[in-house]
Amino acid sequence: MKALFRRYPHEWILVGLLTGLLLAAWRLDPPFVSVGTQAELSTHIWEMALLTVPMTLIIITAGIDLSVGATMALCAVVLGMTFERGTPVAVASLLAILTGLACGFLNGVFVAKVRVHPLIVTLATMSAYRGIAEGLSLAKPVSGFPASFAFIGRGEWHGISVPGLIVALAMLAAWVVLNRSVLGRFLFAIGHNETASRFSGVPVDRIKLLLYSLAGTSAGLAAVMFVSRRNTAKADIATGMELDVVTAVVLGGASLFGGRGRIVGTLLGVLLIHETREYVSWRWQNDELILVVIGALLIVSVLVNTLLTRRQAVS
Amino acid sequence: MTVSFRNLAARRETGVAVLLGLTVAVVAGLNPAFVSGANIRDMLVQCAPAAIVGCGLTFVLLTGEIDISLGSMMGFLAAVMGLATSSQYGNLPAPAGIAITLAAGTAIGLLNGVLVSVGRVPSIIVTLGMLTALRGLTELIMGGKWISGIPPGLRYLGTGTVIGVPISIWVAAVTVVLAWLFARETPAGRRIYALGSNPKAAVLAGLSPTRIKLFVFALTGFLVAVATLVGTTQLSVIESGIGVGFEMVVVTSVVVGGASINGGKGTILGMLLGVILLGIVRTVLIFLNLGETSVYWERAIQGAFILVAVLMDHLASRRKSAEVPT
Amino acid sequence: MKRCGWLMVALVPFVLFGGCGPKPGTPDTGGKKKLTVCMLPKKKGVPYFTSCAQGAEEAAKELGNVELIYDGPTDGAAEKSASMIEKWTLQGVDVIAVSPNDPEVVSPAMRKAREKGIKVITWDADGATDAREFFVNQATAQEIGYGLVDTMAKDLGGAEPEGEVAIITATLTAANQNAWIKFMKERMAKYPKMKLVALQPSSEDQKLAFQVAQDLMKAHPNLKGIFGISSVAFPGAAEAVKQAGKSGKVLVTGLATPNDMKAYVKDGTVKSVILWNTPDLGYLTVRVAHDLATGALKPGATSIQVGRLGEKKIEGDNVLLGKLLVFTKENIDQYDF
Repeated sequence: MKALFRRYPHEWILVGLLTGLLLAAWRLDPPFVSVGTQAELSTHIWEMALLTVPMTLIIITAGIDLSVGATMALCAVVLGMTFERGTPVAVASLLAILTGLACGFLNGVFVAKVRVHPLIVTLATMSAYRGIAEGLSLAKPVSGFPASFAFIGRGEWHGISVPGLIVALAMLAAWVVLNRSVLGRFLFAIGHNETASRFSGVPVDRIKLLLYSLAGTSAGLAAVMFVSRRNTAKADIATGMELDVVTAVVLGGASLFGGRGRIVGTLLGVLLIHETREYVSWRWQNDELILVVIGALLIVSVLVNTLLTRRQAVS
Repeated sequence: MTVSFRNLAARRETGVAVLLGLTVAVVAGLNPAFVSGANIRDMLVQCAPAAIVGCGLTFVLLTGEIDISLGSMMGFLAAVMGLATSSQYGNLPAPAGIAITLAAGTAIGLLNGVLVSVGRVPSIIVTLGMLTALRGLTELIMGGKWISGIPPGLRYLGTGTVIGVPISIWVAAVTVVLAWLFARETPAGRRIYALGSNPKAAVLAGLSPTRIKLFVFALTGFLVAVATLVGTTQLSVIESGIGVGFEMVVVTSVVVGGASINGGKGTILGMLLGVILLGIVRTVLIFLNLGETSVYWERAIQGAFILVAVLMDHLASRRKSAEVPT
Repeated sequence: MKRCGWLMVALVPFVLFGGCGPKPGTPDTGGKKKLTVCMLPKKKGVPYFTSCAQGAEEAAKELGNVELIYDGPTDGAAEKSASMIEKWTLQGVDVIAVSPNDPEVVSPAMRKAREKGIKVITWDADGATDAREFFVNQATAQEIGYGLVDTMAKDLGGAEPEGEVAIITATLTAANQNAWIKFMKERMAKYPKMKLVALQPSSEDQKLAFQVAQDLMKAHPNLKGIFGISSVAFPGAAEAVKQAGKSGKVLVTGLATPNDMKAYVKDGTVKSVILWNTPDLGYLTVRVAHDLATGALKPGATSIQVGRLGEKKIEGDNVLLGKLLVFTKENIDQYDF
């Protein structure tokens, strides 16, 4: 048991915080922790949760992708505009996902081939993609999607929420890659020491291209989920999404310097942000307060983690 | 080694300067009012806050860190300044307001610095958390209302001129020159470069990363306060959305100007050119008057600018060296 | 050390939250039965909505048995509004009053709330008609759009008002503003010599509106009028005109609360400010919400008695606040919001 604690100290801190929060909520506002409430509230988080999966992989390689929100917006616009012009919604969704793939691929090309720092590339594409979304759609929203379309964003399959299922599958797949595959080991290697990995024969460029393309594709899928759930496709969705996603991944223990990160940690990070946000909103009914709490939570959790793990082995 | 480094840096600044010059020439050709004294003055005034804060951010980037809390800091400091001096609230005289704002900015910067250097929390996390928390705090203390009744002494900082040149331009010019001198000529400035380009060697050489990082973050906080004092006082009310997105503008400008995210590389001149280039994009579009739909493409154009600048630099550096791939 | 560490960490939320007693506003605390009315602005923290909240609080206090919750997204994101409505539905409140930023996004959540028996009304802007019982309406988009252009025409003066004009709006995706712009363009056809030369966003940033106004004046030296059609763009544009020394030469009009524009009206930079009585709007909203919840107000009613506002007409399912107000030098001192 002690060994389990020592191996995953950061994750246990998160579990502790989460448990503490839910226990406090149970004592003070019992309806909050009811299954029905939690199930309903969980619908707010699926797109963000999906995006944290490729983001975790990217951050493990010491990269970052700030363009995921903008990519999502562009994909949503593509979805909306093609649907508006008569394309069946399934095809439009596919086009949206392909758009995401293209956006991510472009990021990957700049990062891997042109060798520009991912922060700069994705900062630029963040503006560019959202700008294209605004330009194409002339800032007009599209709605009126068929009722069947809502299945992806809000539907249930044998009682399990469909978007939740998508997220769960994504996380499972990522876990397998990170923990049971050669690719996973390559990712950590790149994060620890990219030059050495290159010399060891790791196909660094191809992997990066893959990761950013994956991030873009996920953004496309997230766009489909969002549009289906909220019945609107326009250029200003998902503003600030990238910050939320990075916050969750970093809260989960991944290091922006690369070489560290776990899917379990990311999952806990997502849950913690979600529950904190929902509970503060539930109890204090004050949107500004949420911002302060989330910001403080991020800093404090990493601070605590750093202080506690410094007693451990040398870095 | 130093020679080729300087050539490289010079190449990036030249590239940006060329792009800037071309843009100005083209727009001026189409609408001469673009290079009128009034317009140049207004454009420089628009760029002033970013130029002031860009000095601090350049130093932060040089040490290998980053600060994305700049916009939320500015919003918070504007609210503090407003609440302290407005006739509706604190009603303190202008000099007191100035002192309080500068102190608050430096304090927040120092807090960032402490968390980064002593707490060993990565700067992206500290400043990301601050960006969120400070924005929420600003909204809370403003309570949904705007602050007006700013004393004339403070408004003068934003609207007044000295021999025809607005105060904000003077302040920006002085800040940029001082920063430039500091970076190039003083041992302290040299130390900042050293820390960023090779942290391990710097420590072995006896430099104190903690002290240097504390300094650059506190300095940035101070400079954000300065920018707040000359920037937000242009308007007669303080509203809660001040500064939103500002950090992206400054970071982008500084990086376009040549600073490296990894530290150790970047110049004040490059930052200045980057600030001006990005600062005039919107004005350029308005003057080109390409029609209503062009408005919707503004953000895309800004993104394209960055990519072009970065591509240019990369192609230039690739031709220069056949080094080990990074 | 480690294990104590994380145990201590787990206790942090307890310490933080445990200290506070049950918050008024969480409806499931026992005691006196109060009606919970949730008021959702498009964007929290903007004086326009804060002034509505002023009136709402006044009504709540007057009625005595209303628990007013005023909360909304500080960034104006429609998605957040929908999430808040869903939360309130789970909390089982009595009435939700929504000013929807994007009707398509918010209406499904409103419908779900009604299914649970919660009364839903809209105010300031409307949602889908089947998603709410009443709409507290202060002015239609057409009235606002036409009113803006007519006011500018009147201020420009003459039988055939002429001049170049520009519109500074909020964000390009703002639904309200886009509706007004549509009607503004329609109305400008009535004044053939009024020419629209530019439309620029200012994304809820007064400084940006200021800079955009500056740029517009330089790029179009014959500019005669600027419409600042968001409560942020209007004062920004006015300040730009004033600092450029063009007060009176370039007319500025738009929508904003009178307090924020008082200085500009007094010094002549702005001749007319268009709005309506926002505290009254908030007051009326809470009153309607209350009467709906107690059953005093039923669909099909043609009027309603609203405390200090007297009798208000109901057209169909629209509760009408009254006419647009135009604030000028003569009357602006009468208003304090």
